[in-house]
Amino acid sequence: MNLSIEHRAFASALLAATLSLGGAWLAARPIQTAASSVLAPTPSSATMPSPQLLAQGAEFFAQSCADCHGDDGHGDEGPDLHNLAISNARIASQIKNGTKGEMPSFGRKYHDQQIAALVAYVRTLR
Amino acid sequence: MSIDPTLWPKLHGASTHFPVALAMAAALFEGLGALWPKSSPRKAQLHAAGYFTIILGALGTFPAVLSGLFMTKGRVLGHDAELFHHLFVWPAFALLVGLGVWRALVGEKASPRGFSIYLTVLLITAGLMAGAGYWGGELILNS
Repeated sequence: MNLSIEHRAFASALLAATLSLGGAWLAARPIQTAASSVLAPTPSSATMPSPQLLAQGAEFFAQSCADCHGDDGHGDEGPDLHNLAISNARIASQIKNGTKGEMPSFGRKYHDQQIAALVAYVRTLR
Repeated sequence: MSIDPTLWPKLHGASTHFPVALAMAAALFEGLGALWPKSSPRKAQLHAAGYFTIILGALGTFPAVLSGLFMTKGRVLGHDAELFHHLFVWPAFALLVGLGVWRALVGEKASPRGFSIYLTVLLITAGLMAGAGYWGGELILNS
């Protein structure tokens, strides 16, 4: 079969594009696994929040977060909050400032200590 | 040994602008080269510029995509602005790699019809890259 250089190049291009995209998506899985096991902060006994703080956080969560993130935090309109691989400071900042057009800010509703309770509760979602 | 959590966002920010800019530059050079009069030596120069920018752009997608995957902890879609960013990124990535490979292999031997198809797909890819860049910027500015 006498294929023109353009056709052979097209076949190679298709193969390269498929392999690149497939490779990236396949690489995502081990990265995800490694991130959740290595990079996600694990609470130690020294930093374990008190039951009162968690109960307060759960109450605030039910009041302000469950509508979008689901009662169990598995996500609804908003994203799943289980196993968040971001820092407490970043979670707190997200709650406090929100994201324009996506998530309201709760900086006026909750003061820093209450946001810390929310963060502590969100951290228990595993 | 712990990895600086800001490493991947920094690397993604540093690497991601190259393929975006190079894809757009390739579309510009190849487009202008197609429009330029045949008699002018500038035509070949523009196509040569387009040839190298598309290949470098295609190569540049790999560090950008890898650092992005590490930054998002392997999330390939996400939600909201990140989802929009990824809906542009993935087709643009595949198309840019494909275009780079096609252009590298065909070189100067492209037929007018083959080159027209290449140029059309390149313009679409440049648009997708622009969309990916826009939603990437939205992610940074609104988070």
